[in-house]
Amino acid sequence: MAEILKVTNISKHFGGLTAVNDVSFSINEGETVGLMGPNGAGKTTLVNMICGSYGADSGKIEFMGKDITKLPPWKRCKLGICRTYQIPRPFPELTALASVVVSALHGKDRPNRSLEDASTEATHYLEFVGLFSKRNILARDLTLFEMRGLELARALATEPKLIFIDEVMAGLNPVEAEKAVRLIERAKDQFGVTVLWIEHVMAVLMRAAERVIVLHYGEKIAEGSPQEVANNPLVIESYLGKSENA
Amino acid sequence: MELEVKRDRLVLRAGGGKWEWHIEPRYWRNPLIYVSILIIAPVVVYFVYPSLLATVIDANLLAAIAIPLALMSIGTGRMNFGPQFYIGIGGYAAALLSIHFGLNPALTLIAAALAGIVFGFIMSPLSIIAGGLYYSLLTLLLPLLFLEVTFIFSDLFKGDTGLSGIAPLVSTGSFSLNLLIYAFISLAMMLFYLFIIDKIFRSRYAVQMAAINDDEEVANGIGVNVNKTKIISFIIPAMMVAIVGWFYAHYYGAFSGQTYLPLSFMLKVFMVTMIGGRTQIYGCIIGGYFIAFLEMILIRTTGGMSPVLFPVILLALLLVLPEGLFGLYRKHHYREYMPTLRFRR
Repeated sequence: MAEILKVTNISKHFGGLTAVNDVSFSINEGETVGLMGPNGAGKTTLVNMICGSYGADSGKIEFMGKDITKLPPWKRCKLGICRTYQIPRPFPELTALASVVVSALHGKDRPNRSLEDASTEATHYLEFVGLFSKRNILARDLTLFEMRGLELARALATEPKLIFIDEVMAGLNPVEAEKAVRLIERAKDQFGVTVLWIEHVMAVLMRAAERVIVLHYGEKIAEGSPQEVANNPLVIESYLGKSENA
Repeated sequence: MELEVKRDRLVLRAGGGKWEWHIEPRYWRNPLIYVSILIIAPVVVYFVYPSLLATVIDANLLAAIAIPLALMSIGTGRMNFGPQFYIGIGGYAAALLSIHFGLNPALTLIAAALAGIVFGFIMSPLSIIAGGLYYSLLTLLLPLLFLEVTFIFSDLFKGDTGLSGIAPLVSTGSFSLNLLIYAFISLAMMLFYLFIIDKIFRSRYAVQMAAINDDEEVANGIGVNVNKTKIISFIIPAMMVAIVGWFYAHYYGAFSGQTYLPLSFMLKVFMVTMIGGRTQIYGCIIGGYFIAFLEMILIRTTGGMSPVLFPVILLALLLVLPEGLFGLYRKHHYREYMPTLRFRR
């Protein structure tokens, strides 16, 4: 499998706080990689740097062999990187359809695409996430689960090669969470996207991810198959703490 | 000839022909009806009470300032509190070139538009680097700074008295006829702006503007070039408002920064947008006519009280009609897609 994303020695500091420190990893095409770590481990900061919301203080990000470290977010999106947000950020004043139309019009370069073409395609993505019947509802009026679906549709409509799923389980009940996992798995199969899945819920990554990267205090402490990572003493310590008697 | 009134239509039969006119409310939204009223109104006023044409011109010009301002507000996601800065730019460009170089109105129009584009381009980074209150304050200060400049360089701008002797746009010899022609020119300008901006608001660019309005960072993340959109939607309205300044200069034959640059003029423009519904381009016409006629009535009845009464009315409107007249309609018809500005608090 070809390497789609390569992150080399990337760091980010906020004043005196080191959010991400010298992290390196790579993702292969078609893979589902989990990114986990306790609260404040630097997972979202890392994704923000890869997507371009934050500039990296040092290090290099390569996407499909191209250095994208200095590119603005919209150019990264056009290359094929897109994301969803931990706390859903829909366009509150736009209908569900219009929200996805924005992505279908932008995202990957598709010459001569009209507003009508984009609307037709947007309905396809809305149908995929099960929101076709709610296409004319304002995004702010959707439920949390629907907002997450809308975010996924919005991200998929940019025709990404690599998609970042940021804590999709947060705030969902078990039934909705199961639906969300199945939806992402279907998206992977149907659209052939590579997924970097940021998650707190260990069980989800154990099931869905092929490889897991663990961050703690901004540093990568483990990488490997879900089983290897789950048995790694450093990971257990980062989540459960160190025993006084050990 | 036979006229028959049916439930949803009027049917006129004359000779062998039959004409139907739908009277269902959904057909009342046909813009041609309102454009026809706007075209016929100045002619009626011309024959009934010609001096009222000046108010009609004022109304058209206020709407012609507020309509591009709606585009600027939506495209940049911020409320510009100093649109009159570009009136000053266009007006002074036209006045100075007409007086000192004897250029005719057609050439000064090009110069005013270019000046609007250049100054719009220079000021457009404000919409990228400043947001919310800071942007509003900076844009509020710009026209006041320009007013100071007209006083400092009084030899050139005649800050205290204003520039006079600008070539008129129309001179037929009849004052009333001149006014009628000016009314039609101002109406044509306003309707042209409305047409262009309505087209923009129904195009793909509107969706990206609306996305920028709602969340700039997310819009940027899904491939919208936010900075480019903001700069373009800053420059085009700046040029349009500068052209209104050009019209003011040639309409009155004189141009003074003291008339257009102070806060009182901004307040009028702001009220137009508030009454119509902020960023609602059709509402701007309602607002323009309402304010122009209200000002005329207040001046005739209360004299110098209008500077006091205007802010009071504005405050009352902010309380009781925050969405504006057209905003109320839009609120219940959001499916007919039209981007609106969401104020950041």
